[in-house]
Amino acid sequence: MSDPGRQRVAFTVNGEQREAWVFPHDSLLDVLRDDLGHHEVRYGCGEGVCGTCTVLLDGEPVSGCLLLAVQADGCSLVTVRGLAPGGGGLHPLQACFLRHGAAQCGFCTPGMLLTAWALLQRDPRPSRERVRRELTGNLCRCTGYSKILDAVQEHAARAAEETGGHG
Amino acid sequence: MVAAPFRYERVTSFEEAARALRERGEDAKVIAGGQSLVPMLNLRVARPAWLIDINPVGAGPIEDHGGYLRLPALTRHRAIEAAEVVRRRCPILAAAAACVGNVRTRTRGTIGGSLAHADPAGELPCVAVALGAEVTVQGPDGARQVAVGDLLVSYLTTTLAPDEVVAEVRVPTLGPRSGWSFLELCRRSGDWMVVGVAALVELDADGAVAAASVAIGGVAERPWPVPAEVLADLLGAPPAGERLALVADGAAAMLDPDDDVHASGAYRRRMAAVLGRRALAEAAARARDNGRPAR
Amino acid sequence: MADTEAPARQEAFRVVGQRPAHHDFVDKVEGSLLYAADWQLPGMLHGRVVRAEVPCARIAAMDVSAARALPGVVAVLTAADVPSNQVVERATGGLGELAIAMPVLAADRVRYQGEPIALVAAVTPQVAAEAAELVDVEYEDLAGVFDAERALEPGAPLVHDEGNVLVSWTIARGDVEAGLAAADLVVEGEYRTQRVEHAYLEPEAGVGWIDTSGVVTLRVATQVVEHAATIAAILALPESKVRVIGTYMGGGFGGKEDMTVEPYLALLVWRTRRPVRMVWERQDSIMASTKRHPFVMRYRTGVRRDGTVVAQDVDVVGDAGAYPYLSPRVLFAACVTASGPYRVPNVRHRARAVFTNNVPTSAFRGFGAMQVTFGYEQQMDRVAARLGLDPKAVRERNFLAKGDTIPTGERLDTAVAAGECLRRALAALGEPARPSGPGRRVGRGFAVNMQPYGRTVWFRDRAACWISLEADGSLLLRSGVTDLGGGQAASLAEIASEVLGVPLGEIGVHIGDSQLTPPAGGTFATRQLYMSGNAVLAAARALRDTLLPVAAELLDADPGDLAFEDGMVRERGDGDRRGVRLAELAAACQRRGVPTSHLGTWRAETGTFDPASGQGASFPDYTFGAHAADVEVDTETGEVRVLAYAAAHDVGRAINPLRVEGQIQGGAYQGLGYALGEEVVVQDGQTASTLLASYLVPNSADLPDVRAIIVESGEGKGPFGARGIGEPTIGNPAATIANAVAAATGVRVTQLPITPERLLAAIDAEGEDAR
Repeated sequence: MSDPGRQRVAFTVNGEQREAWVFPHDSLLDVLRDDLGHHEVRYGCGEGVCGTCTVLLDGEPVSGCLLLAVQADGCSLVTVRGLAPGGGGLHPLQACFLRHGAAQCGFCTPGMLLTAWALLQRDPRPSRERVRRELTGNLCRCTGYSKILDAVQEHAARAAEETGGHG
Repeated sequence: MVAAPFRYERVTSFEEAARALRERGEDAKVIAGGQSLVPMLNLRVARPAWLIDINPVGAGPIEDHGGYLRLPALTRHRAIEAAEVVRRRCPILAAAAACVGNVRTRTRGTIGGSLAHADPAGELPCVAVALGAEVTVQGPDGARQVAVGDLLVSYLTTTLAPDEVVAEVRVPTLGPRSGWSFLELCRRSGDWMVVGVAALVELDADGAVAAASVAIGGVAERPWPVPAEVLADLLGAPPAGERLALVADGAAAMLDPDDDVHASGAYRRRMAAVLGRRALAEAAARARDNGRPAR
Repeated sequence: MADTEAPARQEAFRVVGQRPAHHDFVDKVEGSLLYAADWQLPGMLHGRVVRAEVPCARIAAMDVSAARALPGVVAVLTAADVPSNQVVERATGGLGELAIAMPVLAADRVRYQGEPIALVAAVTPQVAAEAAELVDVEYEDLAGVFDAERALEPGAPLVHDEGNVLVSWTIARGDVEAGLAAADLVVEGEYRTQRVEHAYLEPEAGVGWIDTSGVVTLRVATQVVEHAATIAAILALPESKVRVIGTYMGGGFGGKEDMTVEPYLALLVWRTRRPVRMVWERQDSIMASTKRHPFVMRYRTGVRRDGTVVAQDVDVVGDAGAYPYLSPRVLFAACVTASGPYRVPNVRHRARAVFTNNVPTSAFRGFGAMQVTFGYEQQMDRVAARLGLDPKAVRERNFLAKGDTIPTGERLDTAVAAGECLRRALAALGEPARPSGPGRRVGRGFAVNMQPYGRTVWFRDRAACWISLEADGSLLLRSGVTDLGGGQAASLAEIASEVLGVPLGEIGVHIGDSQLTPPAGGTFATRQLYMSGNAVLAAARALRDTLLPVAAELLDADPGDLAFEDGMVRERGDGDRRGVRLAELAAACQRRGVPTSHLGTWRAETGTFDPASGQGASFPDYTFGAHAADVEVDTETGEVRVLAYAAAHDVGRAINPLRVEGQIQGGAYQGLGYALGEEVVVQDGQTASTLLASYLVPNSADLPDVRAIIVESGEGKGPFGARGIGEPTIGNPAATIANAVAAATGVRVTQLPITPERLLAAIDAEGEDAR
C-alpha cells in the first residue's frame, strides 16, 4: 500500500544493486534513464512497439516503457551494457554486430542485442527465420535487418563451436 | 509519454484484488501484463485513480484435467506458446498465443488480461470463443463460472462487474479425430489481426464431420461465433472443399464489419469468407491426421 | 572547382574499399553513445509544445492562466512572447516561389492539425503534460482545403492569402506536343503517392541551456547546425549568441533537416534562463512533424513502334501542406528527374507545390526524385507491354549515356551505369519462383532510377574541414557535418587515413558544432560525401603536401620516393626502409615553423537555372541504380509476398563497401514499406491514427534479405570518384513491386501503398487479361 508520495524501489541492474525513489506512475524506462543514468535504454514510442526500451527482466525481454518502476522492485535487470564480460570490452555478439555493420544510427541496437541474446539462451542455433520472428518487435529503420541477422547467426555459429556454447 | 498520476497497491490473491476494486471504486483498474493498459496510460487516454497490481498473485502450472486444461489467469502468452501440455492437448491455443504481439508482449501479457481486455481483434479471445472456453470470475463475495462467449460483450467491454477479476481459464482439450486451424490476416507479423478465424472440426469414425466450431475475429465488436445453423450444413458429411466454402461464404455474408484505417468492412467480410474456407479445410485435414501439435 | 588531381599513384587503396567498423559504431554497439535526449543539467526543466487540435481555424481566444498557475510550471509562452515570430526559409533561390513566412507559434490562425500554439516549461514531464492540457483555446473553424487538386480549383479555400500555388516549375526541351503527335503510340498514366512518415527510431529531441558567455546553446538531433542563424533571428539575437551542437542522430532521413525542437527549446531556455529538455512524443511526431509530399503525377509518353521514347509530358502536383518548408526544392528535384534515366528529345515537365491544410511536407530521402520513379518506371513497363516488347530491351534502347543531354539541357559528364545495374540486379534473382499454391501468382519486376547527389548548383555549395597533425602523431578532424547514422563522420576519418596513413584508431573526429567546427552545410541532398568528403580530401592532401618536404629533408630522400602509411612517412618498397614517425615529423615542423594544420574548403560547381525557359543548371551529378524483385500474389486476399529482392547502384567508388551495402539494404526496405504498407492517413486534415502501432514500418519478418550489389564506375564527383548513395536506394522499390505485381497478375496498381485491399480491388476491376 503506498501513499501518493514516492516509494523506494530496489533492483539490480547489470549485477549492481540500485535503488530509486519513485512515484507509482513513473515508468521503469524513465527511472532507468533519468534517475539511474542508463541512457542505453531508450524512448521510441511508449506503446511497446518499437523495442528501443527493451531490457531483460529476470532474463526475459520486456518493454521498459510498459512497466512501472514499482513493478520491477526486487527484480534483476540487464541492459546492453550488462552483456560485456566484467564491465569492459564487447560481448562476442556485440563484436559480431560491429564486424557486420549491423548498426547504422544505433538507436535500435541495444534492443536488438538484448532480444537476440535472450533468444540464444533458449535456442543456441536458431534458423534465420526463427531469428527474424523473434526480432519483429525491434524495429530498425536503417539497416533492412540483413546485417543484424548475419551478425546473430555468425555469433551463434561461433559460440556453438566453442565449448560451453553461447555465453 | 507521461501517465497521469495514480495510487498503487499490490495484492497477492484474486480475492484481495476483488476487495480492493470494491474499496477503491469505479476509477480503480487491475494491472496484469500491462501490454494493453500501460500504452493507454502513457497516452493519457486512461486515467485510473488506482492501479491494483495482481502480478504478485503469480501463476502456477497449467493443469491437464483430461477434458480441459486449467490455466491460471496470469499465465503469460510465452508460457502458453511453449507449454508442452498445451501444444499436445489444445494446440490451437498455443498457436494463437504465439501470434500475440511481439516477444516482449508475450513475456508479460496474460491470458486473463487478454480476455478481460476484450479486444475484438485479439487472438486469444477469438480462439477462446471457438473453443467454448470458460473463465472463473472472482468477486469480493465469491467466484462464478462464465462462458467466454458470455463474458465478451463488445469492444473492450465484458460482463465483469467493476469489482470482479478473471482468476482462471478453462479450455476444452481436443479429442481424437479433432483438427484445428487458426489463421489470421495481419498487415505485418505481430500486429493485431485484420481478420482472424479459429476453426475446430471433429470427424466421426467414417470421416464425416461430427462437430464444428468457428469464431471470427476482427469483424464485429467481439469475436463472432459462426451460428450453429450455419455450421449445421457441415454435419454428417465429409468435409469437402465445396461444402466448406459454402459454409464459410454463408457465415461471412452475415457480417457487417466496420471500416477502419487498416481495412474496410467490405474487405473484412470478404476475407472472413476466404480465411473461413482455408481454416475449415486445414482443420479438417488435421482432423484426418488426428490433430498435429502446434508449430 | 573540380578535383583535378587524378590518383597520384597506381598502388591499391589501403582504407578505401575496406570494411572497418570504428568511431561511433563502436559506441553504438556498446550502447554508450549519448543521443540528444541523453543529456541532463542541474535544474533542468522539461519543455512541451502545445499543439492545435483542429486543422483550419481562427484562434478566437487562448487562456494560459490555469496552465501558468499549476505548481511546477515555470513558463508558458505564446506567440506574443516570441521576439520575431517567423521562420523564413533561407536561400530559397528566389526563383519564383511565393515568399510565405511561417510563425513559430501560431498567433491568430491555425493552418494544420498539430501546429504549435504555445510552449510549456515545467519541473517534470508530468507537470508539463498536465499544463499543456490546461491551455484553453477557443477555435472558430474555417473552411479548409485538404486535397492538393482541390486546392488548385478556382474558389477553393486559401491556405495563405497569397494563393495556393507555392511554386510552379517547368522544364522543357524540344516540342513535346509535336513529338507526341508524331509518336506511333502514346501511353497515358496517372499515379498517386501517399503521405509517409520518416519514423526514425529516435524521436525529435534536444537539450538547451545558456552557457557562461550568455550563448543560447542547443544540443539537438539535427541534420543542419546552420539553423543557429535562424534561431538567433527568432530570438532577435546576434548570430554569435546562438550555438547549435548536432548530436549523432538515431535516424534523420530528411525529417531532422528543417528545425524540429530547436526554436521551441531556444525560446524556453531564453525565457526561463534554465536548461530545458524537450523530447517529442512519438504520436505528436507522427501527427505534426513534416512528411513526404503526396504526388499526383500524369504522364503522356510517346514512343516509336520499336520502343524509342520520342516525347514525354509530365505533370506533377505535390501536396505541400500548410507551410512552405522545402517544398519548392522538392518539386524542383521532381521536375528535373520526372522522365528518369532515359533520353527524351521532346519533353515537358511541370511540377507544382500546392498548399493544403494538411500537415506540412518537406524533405524525405529521395526528395521528389523518389516519387517520380513510381511514375516513369511504370510508364516504361506499360510501353513495353503495349508494344509487345521486352521491358528490359525498352530500357536499354532509351538509357542515357555519358555525354547525353537531359531535359534541363545539361550534358551528363560522368558514366551512366544504369544498364549494368539492371543486368546485375536481374541476374542476382536467379531462376523465377513457381507459385506456392492455387490462387497464387508469381511475377518479376524491376525499376531503374536516377537520383541527384549534391545540392542544386545555384546554391554555390561549400563545405570546409579542418585537419591537424597532433604532437603525438594522431590526427584531429573538425567538420560541421552532422551524422545521421550513415557513417558521415567515420567516412571523413577513412579518407584522411587513406591520404595520411594514420590508423583509424588515431584519428579524432569532431562534428556538427555551429561555433566550433568549420561549416560543412547540412547532411541532406546526398551531399556530404561529395562535399565534406572532398573537403577533407583537400585538407588532407594539403597537409600531406606541407609535411612531405620536411619528411624528405629529415630522411634525406626524394619526396617522390616517400609514402604515408602506418603512422609514418617512409621510403617506398619492401623490406627495411627508412622512415620517420608522424610524432617526430610534427615536432620537426614545429621547430621549422611549418604549419601542421589545414582548413580544406570544397566548392561545388555552380550554375544558373532560368525558370522561364525551363533550361539551365540543376544538380552536379546523379546516381543510377536498378532493383529487381520476384513477388507472389495471393489473388484471394490481395497479399503480396516479396520472394526475392536485389538492388544494384553505381556508387562510383565504394569508400566503405559495408556501409554502402547498409545504405542499399536499408533504403530498399524503407522503399518497400512505402510500396506495400506505409501511410499516414489524413482525413479532412485530421490524422486518423497517430499510433506507431498503426504506421506499418517493415519489421524483420515479412520481407526477404535485399541482395546489395555495388557497381563502381569510378566516375563520381566525390572523393576517389565516389557518388552519393544515401538517397538513391529508396526510389526504386515502389515501381519494382508495382511492375512485379503487374507481371504476376496482369493488373497495374497506380496508387500507393499497394495494400492487399487495393490490389484486390484492382484485380476485381480489371480482370486477369487487362493490361
